[in-house]
Amino acid sequence: MAQVKYVSASRVYAKDAPPAVDTLDLDIKDGEFMVLVGPSGSGKTTALRMLAGLEPLDGGRVEIGEKDVTFVPPKDRDIAMVFQNYALYPQKTVAENMAFALKMQHVPKDERSRRVREAAKLLDLDEKLLDRKPKALSGGQRQRVAMGRAIVREPKVFLMDEPLSNLDAKLRVQTRSQIAELQRRLGITTVYVTHDQVEAMTMGHRVAVLAGGHLQQCDTPRQLYDNPVNQFVAGFIGSPAMNLLKVPLAEGGARLAGTTFPLPPHVRAAAGQADLREIVIGIRPEHLHLPDGGPAGPGPRAGAGDPAGSGAVSGEVTLIEELGADALLHVRLAETGDLIVARTEGRRTLPPGQQVTFRVSRDDVFAFHPETGARLAG
Amino acid sequence: MTVLEDLAPPPKVEIQPREISRRELWQRRLPLLPALVYTVVVTQIPFLVTLWYSFQSYFWNTPAPAHFTGLSNYKTVFTSPAFRGALVRSVVMTVTAVIVAMILGVCFAVLLDRKFLGRSIVRTLMITPFLVMPAAAALIWAGPMLDPNFGLINWLLQPFGVHHVAWLSTHALGSVILVMIWQWTPFMMLIVLAGLQSQPPETLEAAKVDGAGAFATFRELTFPHLRPYIELGVLLGSIYLVNVFDAVRLMTNGGPGTSTTNLPFYLYQEVNNAFDIGGAAATGVVTVILTIIVATFALRMFARVFQFEEA
Amino acid sequence: MTAVSVRPDAVRAREPRPQKIREMSGNVGWAVLAWVVGIAFFLPVLWMVLTAFKPESAAQTWPPKFIFSPTLAQFRLVFSGWGPYVTHSLIATTVSTLLVLVLGVPAAYALSVHPVPRWRDGLFFFISTKMLPIVAAIGPLYVLALHVHLLDSIWLLIILYTAMNLPLAIWLIRSFMLEVPKEMLEAADLDGASRVREMTEVILPVISPGLVSTALICVIFAWNELFLALNLTVTNAATMPMFLISSVPQEGLYLAHLSAAATVASVPVIIVGWIAQRSLVRGLSMGAIK
Repeated sequence: MAQVKYVSASRVYAKDAPPAVDTLDLDIKDGEFMVLVGPSGSGKTTALRMLAGLEPLDGGRVEIGEKDVTFVPPKDRDIAMVFQNYALYPQKTVAENMAFALKMQHVPKDERSRRVREAAKLLDLDEKLLDRKPKALSGGQRQRVAMGRAIVREPKVFLMDEPLSNLDAKLRVQTRSQIAELQRRLGITTVYVTHDQVEAMTMGHRVAVLAGGHLQQCDTPRQLYDNPVNQFVAGFIGSPAMNLLKVPLAEGGARLAGTTFPLPPHVRAAAGQADLREIVIGIRPEHLHLPDGGPAGPGPRAGAGDPAGSGAVSGEVTLIEELGADALLHVRLAETGDLIVARTEGRRTLPPGQQVTFRVSRDDVFAFHPETGARLAG
Repeated sequence: MTVLEDLAPPPKVEIQPREISRRELWQRRLPLLPALVYTVVVTQIPFLVTLWYSFQSYFWNTPAPAHFTGLSNYKTVFTSPAFRGALVRSVVMTVTAVIVAMILGVCFAVLLDRKFLGRSIVRTLMITPFLVMPAAAALIWAGPMLDPNFGLINWLLQPFGVHHVAWLSTHALGSVILVMIWQWTPFMMLIVLAGLQSQPPETLEAAKVDGAGAFATFRELTFPHLRPYIELGVLLGSIYLVNVFDAVRLMTNGGPGTSTTNLPFYLYQEVNNAFDIGGAAATGVVTVILTIIVATFALRMFARVFQFEEA
Repeated sequence: MTAVSVRPDAVRAREPRPQKIREMSGNVGWAVLAWVVGIAFFLPVLWMVLTAFKPESAAQTWPPKFIFSPTLAQFRLVFSGWGPYVTHSLIATTVSTLLVLVLGVPAAYALSVHPVPRWRDGLFFFISTKMLPIVAAIGPLYVLALHVHLLDSIWLLIILYTAMNLPLAIWLIRSFMLEVPKEMLEAADLDGASRVREMTEVILPVISPGLVSTALICVIFAWNELFLALNLTVTNAATMPMFLISSVPQEGLYLAHLSAAATVASVPVIIVGWIAQRSLVRGLSMGAIK
């Protein structure tokens, strides 16, 4: 019905420049909420605009509902778009803004106002606002009008270009869940662009991570978090970010913070196969555990006889960030001086200057190729 | 933990913004004074003198000095068919020129809004008529362009069956208005172009996605956006065009007969041909009063269109 | 789970799509139309310049001549006669423009950065003087000028041109001053700058391009002005527009000579206008449109 496909879609702006979007292959299922996430310049907005028909393709094609729409103008694609700056028509009232597309389709007047009022109710937009002009509305209200303009059309696909980025933090969190809930209710295929990985993780059925015009990984949020396919995805998803350190390989593991940290056998095998001298190790902040009973705890044992197969990471606390329920400890590692961040329970914090040793389970550690960034796995 | 018991609203305190000190006030006024005094002296004194003379009978070509004559000059003005004719012609010329120039200006602005090869050159060519000295424009159109025997226009129109038309005799008013339009269309075009280029492109993209074709987009979005610019162009153009003198004096000298005489030319004639200072003064005062009435509406529109920017 | 994409071959440009060909021919048609309109509007100016190089015998012919042997004789005539006229025009234009800036900059300052309490009224007053036609006062003005011995004097023109351009300049300069970021002025204030220093060290440098375009607009209007010059001068202060009129004799061939005079009179302003093109709209709309 309304699935969306990018097939080797590419866009280049200048003749010898690197492509803004490089042979993107993406299958979006009907009714799915797909989030395109990535840093600025990753090509996510360009990819969205290619789907909208506002950017031409220089290679490949785009399909909406089994039909090749690569050369179809935007108005014939049966899509609706919410722009980052809302792009509301300034001289028209809210009602006229929302009904504009219907007017272009020659929908009769009463049908138009019915659908407008329905959409307004759905979005919690006060009826009184319908006769006002956009400049008399608050930012949050304008955002809802922009959404209403899209909803009213009952299109095959919703396209959203960072619709929350102009809202203040509190409103953003509120509206985030409203949009996700709305999409669930309406069941319309949605392609949503954001640079905020929190939005991506909380809203999407699946998330496509882009960087430099290339698709890095497309997966469910859980999979992206637990099974990043390369260093970029690992470092991009998750807040605070995963600790990534380049470490030399040693007998049985890697040399980390003055001790040898044990690595699982399949990682060591992959490293050996690729003839590597060093690797990039990744540890999420919540996997750095404070030992029970105090900062120093039972002395570090380099994996010998430890049932969990865990290693030790030692350093000195430099900064504590209190978050309320949790706290973030910034720690300078022994021997190398690298800075890492660990997440601990709010009440178990340590003063700056304190020496500390963390326990990390061997299986919680990610390993990446130091040059390509690919995950080293079996 | 204290509990709020008294929930009555706090008593009203009279707080007013502090007034600007006297010193500050004069420090602010001082820079304005030179320009203000200068303008008052140079513009208001002539009008006061005009007002005085309007009640006098004073002829430049007779030795008799000016003497008081009450409202007789005004009576002459209001009963003079020449004055009324000049007034009507001023209105006709201004309205026609402004409307045609604005319509053409909108069309050409749309034309120049899109990128094409040599766009800036075409733009430069198109604004040149506005920059030509009005006196030069008038004389060139009267001579090398519209001359019945040697003019370029007659030659260009030959294939259309036009033969040696004496434009300045048979179509005098039209010729003058043509030159006015030729000189002022670029002005309208530039203002409308600024309006077109100030439209946020995102809004136009949203219209594309919403299914609006080129005409629908222009009608529903672009034209409403252009309205303040068009109003500004019409307003400013009218102010400048109602005072047009060069073309009338140098192309047709107000003729044939009085068919191209507008108010500025009529005033010029009263002074230079009739030597009637008193009559010219009275005509001038009436013109000023009429202008004030029109200008009051215009100024109100001006404020709205300019959306007075605060510092 | 989708694997990461390995760096592929460079994206190759595709064949022109049918839609693109339609787009391109549409663009060409558009460009042609625009060029036709541009040339049509420029034609009288082109004809003027062309005719200026003709000998009189070739200027009044039927059909009009496009091929002829060009001569500079007309220009020589013009340059031999224009002396006093161009001098008067130059003096009247530059002095009045300088005066406008000297008076206008402080006035604009008093209406924008540190505004007087009734700045709206001030602005309205200045613009109202532009709306009242000077033509209405020309008779008494003549008599007045005679009494103060300013008739046929370059100073009269300077005084009147200044008054003519001042309102426009004040509105324009004010619009430029409003664009100076408030933080810059506050920083200068914190650094201990007096009002005068604020003007000379902060404001004037920032708005200097705007001052240039304001000056250019004033130059255009002063140079082209005919009505006052015609009525209030005879020989001692006659300006270029008057020179033009004088090149239309009562009898005899004159079209080529007229064209040369018109060209010489107009070209300076045309060039100034081409240079100041970007700020022309702003100047004409008194700063309303950026």
